[in-house]
Amino acid sequence: MKSLQYAGVTLAIGLAIAAPAAEARPVSYPGGWTVMQMNNGDMASLHVHYSPTFTDSIGLYSERNWGEDWHFTGIQYNRLVKRWNTPNSQANLYFKAAAGQADPFSDGANVEAAGFVGVGTDWETRRWFVSYEGRAYDLGFDQDARQSARVGVAPYIGDYGDLHTWLMLQVENQPEAETPTTLTPLVRFFYDVQMLEIGYAPETEELMLNWIVRF
Amino acid sequence: MKLIKLALATTTIAFAAPIATAQDAATDTAISAQTMVNVKVNGMVCDFCARAVTKVFGKQEAVENVHVDLDNGEIHVTLKPGAALSDETVADLVKKSGYDLVAIERETA
Repeated sequence: MKSLQYAGVTLAIGLAIAAPAAEARPVSYPGGWTVMQMNNGDMASLHVHYSPTFTDSIGLYSERNWGEDWHFTGIQYNRLVKRWNTPNSQANLYFKAAAGQADPFSDGANVEAAGFVGVGTDWETRRWFVSYEGRAYDLGFDQDARQSARVGVAPYIGDYGDLHTWLMLQVENQPEAETPTTLTPLVRFFYDVQMLEIGYAPETEELMLNWIVRF
Repeated sequence: MKLIKLALATTTIAFAAPIATAQDAATDTAISAQTMVNVKVNGMVCDFCARAVTKVFGKQEAVENVHVDLDNGEIHVTLKPGAALSDETVADLVKKSGYDLVAIERETA
């Protein structure tokens, strides 16, 4: 089983591309591994992390941003700062930070030490979902910031083990991007330990494809 | 003499067999008694949440099966025959899974 887990991580790293938008929950159960891969027309990212506790995770984060011509690779730490549990809902507040290096691959400049900090929050019932995430990057040769928010509804309520479907709307703001604000309708599927999101941003005519596996 | 020994052995076995059978039956009853622990929690609203619960409880030696009821926010834990899981351990496992414990009920089948 462990060899399968390591093979999965190795495969995921091998598939690494580079830069993401709104990540789903960045911590897992104690001893759990998570692979998150996110893509849209401007960026692609890979985040592979391990959770020693349900409040912490640490792992590799790699992001390639074609829109702004840089590639970041580093170690990311995620912390569940606070969770609110009620009989019918769950809400979370997360802190994220990463340190590593950034490569401005399009202008021939040197690789520089880089990092980012971010906060994320979400609220979810079995019918409704709302989330927000903001990040600020210091890339050495440049600074970048982005934020995104989502609202979602489940058209049906599935039980444990069923295929779960969500219809969501994401608004993302990247002040330095060619199209600073984009609206992306998307569909999220949950099944077993896998999550898949497919969306389309009409303003930029770009597809979004995100997936997460936990094991 | 050999005949007497054979008769004694046969008699002993004949009397011992029902006793042994009775003891086995009693042991079987004890072994087959299984406990179901029903745990009510707050915050368990999605499949990834439920997955955490099944992983954390499933690692316990005493646990045979874990079933999650998302509709009612309940975890149904079937213990192995003769095994035990204290309320303190259950509370700790719920906390480690990231949820808030509401109540624990037990049934013995």
